[in-house]
Parts: sequence; C-alpha cells; structure tokens
Amino acid sequence: MKFDTIIIGGGLAGLVAGIRLQEKGRQCAIVSTGQSALHFSSGSFDLLGKLPDGTEVDNPMGMMNRLDAPHPYSYIGSEAIAVYADEFSEMMKRAGVNLVGNVSQNHYHFTPMGSVKKTWLTLKDFTILDRPDNFPWKSVAIINFPGFLDFYTKFIADELEKHDVKCKLSLVKLPFIEKIRTNPTEMRSANIAKTFEKEENIDAFVEAVSPYIKDVEAIVVPAVFGIYSDKPLLYLKSKLNKDVCTIATMPPSVPGIRMQQQLIHYFIRQGGTFMLGDTVERADIEKDEVKAVYTANHSDIKMTADNYILASGSFFSRGIIARPDSVYEPVFDLDVFYDTDRSHWYDTDVFAPQKYMSFGVITTPDFHAIRKHVTITNLYAIGSILSGHNALHEGCGGGVSIMSAMHVADNLLKNK
Amino acid sequence: MNLQQYNISENNFEQCIKCTVCTVYCPVIPINSNFPGPKHAGPDGERFRLKDPDFYDKSLKYCLNCKRCEVACPSGVKIGDIIQSARIKYNTASPKLRDILLANTDFVGTLSTPFAPVVNMALGLKPVKLVMDSVLKIDHHRTFPRYSSQTFESWYRKNAEEEQKKFPRHISYFHGCYVNYNYPQLGKDLIKIMNAAGYGVHLLNKEKCCGVPLISNGLIKQATSQGQHNIDVIREAVVDKNMTVVGTSSSCMFTLREEYPHLLHIDNSDVHDRVELATRFLFRLIDNGDLKLVFRKDYKKRIAYHTPCHMERLGWAIYSTSLLRMIPGLEFIMLDSQCCGIAGTYGFKKENYATSQGIGASLFKQIADVNPDFVATDCETCKWQIEMSTPYKVMNPISILAEALDVEAIQKINRL
Amino acid sequence: MKKVGEGNEYDVIIIGGGATGAGTARDCAMRGLRVLLLERFDYTNGATGRNHGLLHSGARYAVNDSESATECIKENMILRKIASHCVEENDGLFISLPEDDIAYQAKFIDSCRKAGISAEAIDPKEAIRIEPSVNPSLIGAVKVPDGSIDPFRLTLANVLDARQHGAVTKVYHEVVKFIREQDRIVGVCALNHKTKEVETYYAQFVVNAGGIWGHHIAEMAGVTVNMYPAKGALLIFGHRVNNVVLNRCRKAADADILVPGDTITVIGTTSSHIPYDEIDNMRVTPEEVDLLLREGEKLAPSLATTRILRAYAGVRPLVAADDDPTGRNISRGIVLLDHAERDGLNSFLTITGGKLITYRLMAEWTTNLICKKMGLNEPCRTAEVPLPGSRQESEEVKERIASNNVYRAAEGRHGDLTKEIPLDNEYDNSLVCECEGVSVGEVNYALKELEISDLVSLRRRTRVGMGTCQGELCACRAAGLLSQAHNCTEKAKADLVNFLNERWKGMYPIAWGESLRESQFSAWVYGSVCNLSSGKTK
Repeated sequence: MKFDTIIIGGGLAGLVAGIRLQEKGRQCAIVSTGQSALHFSSGSFDLLGKLPDGTEVDNPMGMMNRLDAPHPYSYIGSEAIAVYADEFSEMMKRAGVNLVGNVSQNHYHFTPMGSVKKTWLTLKDFTILDRPDNFPWKSVAIINFPGFLDFYTKFIADELEKHDVKCKLSLVKLPFIEKIRTNPTEMRSANIAKTFEKEENIDAFVEAVSPYIKDVEAIVVPAVFGIYSDKPLLYLKSKLNKDVCTIATMPPSVPGIRMQQQLIHYFIRQGGTFMLGDTVERADIEKDEVKAVYTANHSDIKMTADNYILASGSFFSRGIIARPDSVYEPVFDLDVFYDTDRSHWYDTDVFAPQKYMSFGVITTPDFHAIRKHVTITNLYAIGSILSGHNALHEGCGGGVSIMSAMHVADNLLKNK
Repeated sequence: MNLQQYNISENNFEQCIKCTVCTVYCPVIPINSNFPGPKHAGPDGERFRLKDPDFYDKSLKYCLNCKRCEVACPSGVKIGDIIQSARIKYNTASPKLRDILLANTDFVGTLSTPFAPVVNMALGLKPVKLVMDSVLKIDHHRTFPRYSSQTFESWYRKNAEEEQKKFPRHISYFHGCYVNYNYPQLGKDLIKIMNAAGYGVHLLNKEKCCGVPLISNGLIKQATSQGQHNIDVIREAVVDKNMTVVGTSSSCMFTLREEYPHLLHIDNSDVHDRVELATRFLFRLIDNGDLKLVFRKDYKKRIAYHTPCHMERLGWAIYSTSLLRMIPGLEFIMLDSQCCGIAGTYGFKKENYATSQGIGASLFKQIADVNPDFVATDCETCKWQIEMSTPYKVMNPISILAEALDVEAIQKINRL
Repeated sequence: MKKVGEGNEYDVIIIGGGATGAGTARDCAMRGLRVLLLERFDYTNGATGRNHGLLHSGARYAVNDSESATECIKENMILRKIASHCVEENDGLFISLPEDDIAYQAKFIDSCRKAGISAEAIDPKEAIRIEPSVNPSLIGAVKVPDGSIDPFRLTLANVLDARQHGAVTKVYHEVVKFIREQDRIVGVCALNHKTKEVETYYAQFVVNAGGIWGHHIAEMAGVTVNMYPAKGALLIFGHRVNNVVLNRCRKAADADILVPGDTITVIGTTSSHIPYDEIDNMRVTPEEVDLLLREGEKLAPSLATTRILRAYAGVRPLVAADDDPTGRNISRGIVLLDHAERDGLNSFLTITGGKLITYRLMAEWTTNLICKKMGLNEPCRTAEVPLPGSRQESEEVKERIASNNVYRAAEGRHGDLTKEIPLDNEYDNSLVCECEGVSVGEVNYALKELEISDLVSLRRRTRVGMGTCQGELCACRAAGLLSQAHNCTEKAKADLVNFLNERWKGMYPIAWGESLRESQFSAWVYGSVCNLSSGKTK
C-alpha cells in the first residue's frame, strides 16, 4: 500500500496533520489503534495557561517568548503559531467544527465541577466568559435527568451562586431516557445523546423543562445534545427562547466524540484513508530512513510512504510505554526523554506537576524523530508524544498537538 | 528489574482503563437496554466472574459479537472475545432446537438441497413462517435465503475441477455454506477471476461449516470439532501443498483466523497468515506488481459499499474497496461503517428481531439516501439483512469484479 | 466541655477502632456493659486495614509458635461461623519449590497436626489442578484450612453489633488527655475532629486498643508500653490470580503469602523495623515493590505480568517484652496488660499484639478481665452469636441475588444486611462504582447507616474506588452523593481531592504500564477537564 504520508495515530494531532496534507492533495493514511483521547475532551483546546514555573498566562501569544527549547512552541516560533491558529480555525470550520477564541486572550469555559477554566478555543456549543467573574446571566435553571451521575448540578449551582447567579435545580423525567436507566451501568452521556438524535425527543425535553424556565435568563444542561452533528443542539436552541448553556459531563464527552467523528469524516471526504482499530507494529528502517511500516491487520502487506508522522500520543494511547525502569517508544524505538530513577517520576501530590507527564520522544527543532542519536529524515513526531512540555501543568496539550501538526504538515507541503 | 515488562491477561481484559469508549460504539445499547454494554459485560464483568462464576449474566446473549467495541478500544482489549468466552465458559443452559437448526447451516443445507424448490417454496409460505414463528421462535418477518438445487461442490466436481490443473499457480478455496447451498454463482465468479489471474482453484479436502453460527448459538463442542477438522484440511492445503486458502465470506474468514484460537482454543498459528479473503489475496498480487486487472469499458454502475462488522474488525475493507475502485466505470460510494443488525443467526430469532432492525435502521436509511444500483458487501448475512430490509440488491465484490472483468485483456497484459 | 451527668458516663471506654477495639466493644456490650468506643480517624485505619486479609489457619506459625498456631485455628473455625459474610473459605497451599528444603514439609505437617490444624500433603499435580496459577515447578504441597477475610467488613460488623447492644461509637474522636484521680484513670478528653471541640467522657475502665499508636496512648496515661514498629508492604493485583491461598513451605520470610480476596489478589509482605515517628507516614519504596514482585513470582509466575493496582504498607503492633529495653525480644502473641498490676495505675488496660484473626480472643480476654474486676459473672458469647451480616439469609435475599448482579455484589459485602439496602428501583440500582459493582442504593445505605464521614470511609464500607480504575469514574459520582447526604458541596469537592490523593498514594509506587496509563487518564479527567487542584499548587 503506497501513500504520500502515513500518519500513526488518529487523535487530534494526527487528524490535523492528515487533513492539512489531504486538503492539499497529498494522499494520507491514518492508522489508529482505537478511538482517541478526543473522547474525553472538555470541548475546548488550550494553547497556554501557565508557564512551566507556574506563572499564570492570560495572553498566550505574549508569553510564547518565555518558553525555551525543548518546548515544542519554542521550535515553532510565535509568528508561525499565530498564523497556524487562524488557519486551524478555518480548517476546522471546513470540517464542520465551529470554534471561538483568540490567541492573544484566553477566555474561560465551565468545567463539570461548575468552576471556570482558562482556555484558548472552545466549541461554539459552549458558553464562554471573557473574565472569570463576568457571568452573562443573573438567573439560570440547571436541568438534569434523574440518575445521571456524571453531571452533578449541585456542584455547578454552588459555583454559580458564588457569583450571584440564582440557580434553580430541576430534574426532568423522560421515558426514552428512563429506558436507558433500566440498565445499571449505561446511563452515560453518549447514550443519552443518542436519544436526542430524534427531534421529537428534543421536543419532549423542551416541553418537560418549560415549567422550570419561565423566570430564568438561561438554561444549563449537560452536554448531551449532538453526538453526530451539532443539529440537535441548534434545534434545541431554536425551540427554547433562552440562552442554552451546555456544560461538559464526565467521560465520555459528547462534543469530543462529535468533533472526532467530524474530523475523521472530513479527512475521508478529502480522500484520506482512515484505518481504525489497526496498530502499526514495526517498521523497516534503513540508515536514516523509514522504508515501510507493518500493521497488525495488514501483516505482510507493507505500507509505504515518502514521509511518516508519528502522532501516537503519550502513555494513555501507548505512544510511549513505561516499564518499571524505563520508558520506550514501541514502533520505531525512538530516543525518549525520561528519568532513569523511577522515584523521580512522580510527585506525591497527584495535582502537582508530575514529571512523568513531560516524558516523550526527543526531536530536532523541525520535529524529525531521532533514533539511537541518528535523525530519521522522513519521520516526524507531533502531538502529545513530544517531550519538552507538560500538557496538564502548562495547559498546552491541545495547542501543542495542533501547532506541531500544522508545522510538520506545512514543512512537508513546502518540500514538494 | 526484568519483571513487569508487560502486562498480560486473558483477552487483555486488564488492559482496560475504564475509559468508556467501547460503550459509545456498541450498536446494541441504544436499542436493547437489557444488554449490560460491552464494558460491563466484558472487562468489568470478567473480574466478578473470576471471583465467582455465579456473576455470569444471561443477558450477555444480547451481544451481537460485532466486535465494534474492539475496533474502538484504545487499549487493545478484546472485549467481544471476553464476552463470547464468558458465554462459552459459564453458560449452563442448553441450546434450543431452534438454535440448533439455525446453527447447523451445512446439515440443514444438505437436507434442503435435493428438495430446494419445495423447501424454498415452503419457507416462503405464510403458514410455514407462522409455525416457525410460534413454535421455533424464528421471526416471521424473516425470509430464508433460497437454497440452490445443486451445491457448489457438486457443480465444481462436474464442471470445473479438471481444468484447474492446467494453471501455473494454485490456491485453495474455502467456499463456506452460503456458496455451497444458497449461491454457487459466487464460487463460480471467484473461479473466473482466479483463473483469469492465472490461478487454479481447488477445494479443501471436505470443508465443514466454519462454525460461526454454532459458536453464537452455544454449540461449542461441535464448533470445536468442526474447527479442528477445518484447520486440519487447511493445513493439508497450506503446509503440504503450499496453497493459500482464500474465501469470499468475511465472517468465515474471521472465524477461521481469529475465533478459532481466541474462543475455541484451536491452534491455527502455522496457517493463520495463509487464510484470507480473496480480495486481500488479489490486492497483494496487484500491490506487489504481480498482477494487473483490466475491466470492461461498458461496465457502468453506481455501487455503495457496506463494511460488515467482521470486515471492520479485520481492517480489510480497504482490499475489497480498492479493487472495486479500480473499475473505471464504477461510481463508488463508501457507506459509513456500522452494524446492519443481523449478526448471523441473531436477527433470525424472534426475541432479537426488533433489536436487529433497530440497529440496522440508520444503515437502511443511508442506502436509500444514496440510492445505488446495488450494494456491495463481503458478508452473506449482511446481504440477507439489507435485501430483506431495503429494495436494494446486494452483491459480493468478487461477483462485481467478475462481471466487470475483461478476461482476455487480463491474460494478454499479464502474459498468461 | 461536657460535665458529668450529661450522658457521658460509661462502664468502659475503648480507644481504637480497629478489629480489636471493635471486638472488645462488642463483647463488653454483649455482657451488658455501657460502652463508648472512640476512634481517632475512621475504623480500620491502622494495621487492621493494612494486611493480607488472610484467615490464618495457624499453619504459618505451627513450627515456631505452637501457641499462636492453636489460637489461630480455633479462631479460624469460629470466624467461619460468626463472620461468614466476611470470610471466603478457599483453603491454602504451602508449596515447596526446588530451592526449598523438602524435609521441612514433614516437620511442618507434624507441627500443624500437633496444633490441631488439618494438614494434608498432596501431589504437586493435584496442587496445580486445584490452583492452576501455582508455580508449576513445585516439588511438594500441603493443603491447610487457610482462607480470606475482609477486615473492613469484619470490624464494621463488630461495631454494628456493639451498637445494637447499646454501645456508643464515635469516629474522628481522638483521645488527647486522660483524666486521672490519684492512681486511677477515670475518664478521657477527646478532640472531635469534625467540630474541633474537646469532649470529656468518664468510665470505670479505659481500654487502650490503639494498636501501634497504643505506645503513645499509654504514654499519655503515664505508663510505658514499648511498641516495636514493623512495617510490612504489600501489593494488590488487579484481579483474582488465585482462588486458593498460596504460601511457601519454609521458615516464614518476606513476600511468601498470596491471598485472593474479593475481586483482587494480595502479595505480602516485607518486614522492616521503622522508627516510631514514621508510623503515620509510610510510603512503599521501589525496593520493596521489586522484592514483593520477585518473591511473588515464585509463588505464581503470572504475577510477573499481571497488572498491579496498588502498593500499601501497614505497621504490625508488636510489643517488646517488658524486661527487654532493646526491643529485640518481640512477643508475637496476644499481650494484655493490666496496668494496675504492672504499673499501679488502676482502671487502665492495654490490649495489643496478636493478629487480625485473634481479635475476638483478644476482646474476650480483655472483657473477662474487666468483668472479673467488676465482679460480674457474665459469660462471653461472641464465639457463638453470629455477627450482623452473617445471620440467616432470608429466602427473599437469595431470590434477589439470583436475578440481579448488583444485589449479588452488595450481598458479598453486607451479607444478610443487604435487605436494608434500597435496591428496589432502577435509580437505586444504578452503579456508582462500575469496577466493584457499588450501586447508588448501597452508597446511600452506607451514608445513612455506616458512619461515613468522607469518601475514604465510604470506600472502606463499600469498595467504591477500590477497583481497576481506582476512582477515575466513580470518585466524582460518589462525591456527588456525599455532598447530597451532607448537604455541602464545598466539603465534598475538597474530599474528592483528598480521595484522589489517597488513591494516588497507593498508585505511584507501581505506576508504570497500564497503571501509569490509568493515572494519566485520571489526571486528565480530574486535573484538566474538571480543573481540580489540591490548593497547594495554585
């Protein structure tokens, strides 16, 4: 099987690179072991929330020059990041994903705990705030379904009330959701969202909530509208004469699932090949060049390309794997940054910056992968597999995936 | 430390990190709330069953064994295998007469063939259907596939066997029950293509039903003994005669390759890689430059391809679709990959009929929206389901290729 | 401060909510005494909750300590009867490996029999048949009546029964001062950690059942009890690897017991002396993890590749002999100190040493002594009367177990008390903790009936967060229910943070492979999506 570029990993970074290349006519294949971490996305992408030393960041662009190598942003450069930011939003729009945000000013979105969190881009589904205390309404109705445990309205209400927003909590009982509950485990966001694919069910929801929302300015609901497209949410908004504020639930994330599906479909519509449920197991490498990769499903039928992009993620997606005494990259055996003393991997406070989160593959400044100290000329690494950053601590996970993907894709496009 | 370099568990059940992704892609949950869902029926339930076998839950029978959970799983957990293994290990209820009849496709086929016109007529009669419905609990909405009056095997012996010897290269063909009893034409089409490509086609030394219906109906002993027989005769072909064994049914191939070792504990490791779909075999020849296909100029069709679940699990749809896309006059539409709902004999059972049709509904709608000349798919039970539930005719890609092929041109260009 | 006469007078005050304290409270209460149990944090916070959960047959002690062995087998048989819902009667194997001296086996069997422990040498092939996970290179095996016991359930059942017999029990009440009149202890001052107020209680007798902390409690009372803190580290594996307890047939050593319990398997333990001031802050070191794995693999080779869920450590409350100031001469048996006789301090007793499995006997001795001093002639009935949860199971319960796995899982934890759990509708049946099958009904029952103050105590009562995901899915759901019960979201959110940190404490020593994946996933969910923080870092 021959492609221009083979991308290993179908998460945010892999899809962004794949779409970028495919839009320009490059034949790409994405091999993805399973569904990606976008399934737990909050619905926002962070660019930069904090510097490594803990300094809070309000204007990510203004702080870019404070990041040193080997931070991925330092390799890309702030000018390129600003350009990619615009182009990324446009590209997402073409894929049907509408985002709002500004690289020079972080905004705030709601968490499932009801608190607000700094971020860069947020799906249009969600309500955003310019400032952490600038709430758009004085009174809201917070709606949930009985027995849906992954969305706890009281947590949200207490946070809102701290900012003088009056909250009314209501549960609405709908027969099609009650049906899910006959099963002790499946009352999950995605299963609820599937029932709202039918407009008549949204009508029933609107009718059920109407007694509770007469004297409030907005209605707060769990993000369970629109798992395949944003149509159900738009329909809901059109039926209610109120602001609708959706708030992310505990996993799985309905907006995240939708985003991933939209990106995959768009990639395929552009002519890309998406191989879901397959894993790249090994590669032929000659000197400084990848010659072919082999997957579990295609065994002896090799996949070849001019260039290869490794976007296989961090520990979660098994882009890198930790053994008791080492961390390695399983496909190409690339050089990985980690601490050889396991007792240094962790902080005893689970919420403190964890060193293991910054482990990842080492690259050249243009994201060429390195293997046994040799730069592989046609292999790039992008996304959360990269070392040099701590996505959780710095609030830069989405940004690093997007920016490194755009950067590598652009370099590949320039080279022909 | 050399310990703990890997985690290993039966069907990787402990690799599950409880991310809930599988629950999003289970086609059964939204339709049938009695099914505990793949996460709870699979890895979660396995921990309970290891503690106490009484935790085995009868409702695991609602699992379609579509394996879409496995395709979605980012952790490589063989969720479907865990569920099916549990059914094999813990289910104590003996199968019903209906299940035994539905499961024994080759036995029933052998009985029916000589009386094909009578059987076909009888199975189509309303009173017969009602008796089957009320006594056997086979849903009366179901139309049984028609039985052919001559089996593929006897046709082959009489009309094809002799001339296969003249070809320079040879393959073996696992035709399966469907080709043998219901639709010999597909077998004839395969022979046409393979012969055009310079391969003689041989039958195995008496193949038996691959066992997929036996497994899903709990007839494990019989499935295992048939499976062992099949692997023995496949071994004769592969090891003794150095012939690859190809098939035209994705479910048969999936069973021979994957379900045998995982569910029936039949060791097929020495022949595993030499058993595959004919489209994969052809694709490899073309990919390696060993074969060129030429198609008739006048073949003009609009075709929508449906990816059967087991094809999705194998990751092999790309072979069939790549071959179809080579036909110049063919307008190719890829349907979104989803379960059609039939799952072999599952959908024939009265208690599953509603679930089955509910699962397939959006696929049927997709097909109607696309309005193709016909649908292509690699699985015979998907074909039945789509033909029963839509007005569209369904063809195996091999039959389409056979129809579109320019045999003379192929022989010329390949210098046969 | 409360004064005398305001319902703060008791016959006996028991300090310590471990198995021994709870068992003593039960025994005293059953004999008609007015009992107050004070626990500094939550029940089973000490050594009770940090061991193998092994229902010793006594075989392990048979060769060197026949007295302990005899006590163990007697108590073993009693617990099977009175605490059946806490016990799994799964037997044990003492295996000899090629490196072990097979001659030890004969001595072992002989010693067991002398102690009254049935010990039967079986063929290695038979051993593999009954326990397929056992090291196949074994050269000998002895079958003994070991089993598993859930210390959380056991302690709680004792507490519940004590309360049913009129005892008052208070968690999060730390004794900060003794009230002494001449040569007599007449009461205690206890700091209520929830209200931050000091409460005063009076009693005729005060029992120090503080385990390793008994050292400090005795000191407060003005007497010396020399404890010898011996740390033992253990590992929990993600599922049941074995169904029969596996031991090595040799002189007791590190990491040579593998115990299946509920949905998991535990290997342990290491043994190291630690300074007394470290007993509240124990961490499992990489060296201990390595040792446990290395030795564990010899019992069951599959441990080398089985996912580890947690590492934890406990401190054995061993007592140095009175006449040995170096602390090297350790008593492993039951130690009941009558401080009147020993130190001239009346009304104060210390019960320590012993083992989880002899908790009832320790309670019996203590209560006997109190009764003797009080001139009471009530017999001990704790060996005959089953604990709550282990009483007759109604037909209704049996029927519901058969039809409902949520009910079945709850029954495994609460025995016949499951009938108290509201599991009548789909809402109550919904699972909070999917790994361990803990429902909304069970959580609400625990919140109402089982003295739950936070998520950690909820975990001990129900197994919420004890499964594969270590709280990743369930912690937030449970925090929601907790905040509902306590009507306070702020506290519940703070508690959620504490709970996740408590889970992490057991995870980071073994966080590689799948456990590190799980940790990273949890960190994303709670740190990023939920934006929780411990406050320290912000």
